[in-house]
Amino acid sequence: MSIPSPDKAFYEFYCPVKIVAGLAALEHLPFELQMLGASRPMVITDKGVVAAGLYQHIEAAFAGSGIAVAAIYDDVPPDSSLETVRDAAHLWRAQQCDAILAVGGGSVIDTSKAVNILVSEGGDDLAKFAGAHHLKRALKPLIVIPTTAGTGSEATMVAVITDRKTGAKLPFTSYFLMPHAAILDPRMTMTMPPHITAMTAMDAMTHAVESYSCMAGNPLSEAFASRAVRKISENLLKVLDNPNDAVGRLALAQGSTLAGVAFSNSMVGLVHSLGHALGSICHLPHGLCMNLFLPYALEYNKDVNGEKIGELLLPLCGPEVFAKTPAEARADAAIAHIRHLRDELHARAKLPRTLRETGKVTEDMLPRIAAAALDDGSLIFNPKDADLDDLMAVLRKAW
Amino acid sequence: MMAVIGRSLVAMSRVDPTVRAELAPIAPGFVFRMTVLPDGPSFAVERTAEGVFALVKDRTRRAELTVIFKHLRHAFLVFSFQEGTARAFANDRMFVDGQVSVAVRIVRVLDRMEAVILPKFVARRALKRYPRIALADKLALATKAYGVTALNLLRGR
Ligand SMILES: [Fe+2]
Repeated sequence: MSIPSPDKAFYEFYCPVKIVAGLAALEHLPFELQMLGASRPMVITDKGVVAAGLYQHIEAAFAGSGIAVAAIYDDVPPDSSLETVRDAAHLWRAQQCDAILAVGGGSVIDTSKAVNILVSEGGDDLAKFAGAHHLKRALKPLIVIPTTAGTGSEATMVAVITDRKTGAKLPFTSYFLMPHAAILDPRMTMTMPPHITAMTAMDAMTHAVESYSCMAGNPLSEAFASRAVRKISENLLKVLDNPNDAVGRLALAQGSTLAGVAFSNSMVGLVHSLGHALGSICHLPHGLCMNLFLPYALEYNKDVNGEKIGELLLPLCGPEVFAKTPAEARADAAIAHIRHLRDELHARAKLPRTLRETGKVTEDMLPRIAAAALDDGSLIFNPKDADLDDLMAVLRKAW
Repeated sequence: MMAVIGRSLVAMSRVDPTVRAELAPIAPGFVFRMTVLPDGPSFAVERTAEGVFALVKDRTRRAELTVIFKHLRHAFLVFSFQEGTARAFANDRMFVDGQVSVAVRIVRVLDRMEAVILPKFVARRALKRYPRIALADKLALATKAYGVTALNLLRGR
């Protein structure tokens, strides 16, 4: 069998994002902006972040620094559009800003990356930059302050923006979209409700697990992925039991960023193919979709990459369990542990474990979901080939 | 080499119903190009109204989907079938510019082509999973698509 190959014949790894992580990390904002030669930042965020009182932490971080937020755009919808990006870029220009602070989750971060294209390159036509590697020079300073611990977008070179006229999701890929810095401060994720904490953490967990066990992983991304699995595994249930655990929150945020660096350099696999398809057809949150498919996809892949899955038992369960489990039983033990984790998340945060438990999926939708998953780009990087029948079989297991 | 791959895709689309089924959902007039950086060989094919591929001669024609090899050596690895298409993507040897959902289909078409034209022991090295295809079907498709001479050319004999 040609897969997995024992050696990575060729790979690339890139992560220029400065990570500032810690209990008062936000207070470093003025310094980071100064280092980037900026003094008039625009905040891009959404109404939820403002309503949760998180914006106050940003304002407070600038107190007495001589730098103040020059504009705030807080109208980012959950599914960002070309219009949103254009509006935010207009505000940036009107207020003569010189940097962007993205304060939010995946949609806010994607919007901010796209706004950076317009304000750096000029004009209003974002669509002409869609595709891979069309940007040829560095953009304006962009600092990301995540308010969820899951997407990992603070460490990736991708943004997806919807074209409302055609309904198409336009992907933008460029090394220049990567933020200059990501600031991980537990105050920004502390107020996340349990089910969002659980869903986003399972997204990060899936990034790490797929990055580690799919085709495009490399020694560097593996190091990040493995550490991400450990951070999330050690802290997720602790944080759900004690939501004000700042150290645990910080660990989850770091896990998410570690996983983001990992999958940005290795792509993902079958869990994401099925998850993207389910998310777009049934309008379920991405992290939930990851939680639904993770063990079943691993089960499907196991006969091809069982060794890699087995290696994850160490960061999932710790050295004692790993050492006690014979090598040939480790993949099954790792999958069983993930199932157990999902049971705990169900008990603590009512996170559905099966398609049926979501109450939003009917059995007659499965063929459509399978067909959409077959067209998903992540499938290329899944170590085991999957045709329509295979995908249906996994969906039925997840039913 | 690239020209041979382009012609093979055209031939496969004409004789293999499995390939035509992959092309069915792609819009007529959709152009797919494969190219090698910095300015290496390339080919382009168009999905015709009849649902098959036709070669595009015009090198300046805009493509809806481009697969770009970062170096000629990488392209050679793939088209001498030492490394599968999916593995080559996974090894950062090439990247996709354009509609990714179609790229997934094209990867399947390339895999199918390799399964049909190559001896099983060679194809198995390049493919994630050797397809369920009977030897008789395979030979029939291969000879229909290429004739014996072209087949030998592809195999490098
Ligand atoms: Fe994800």
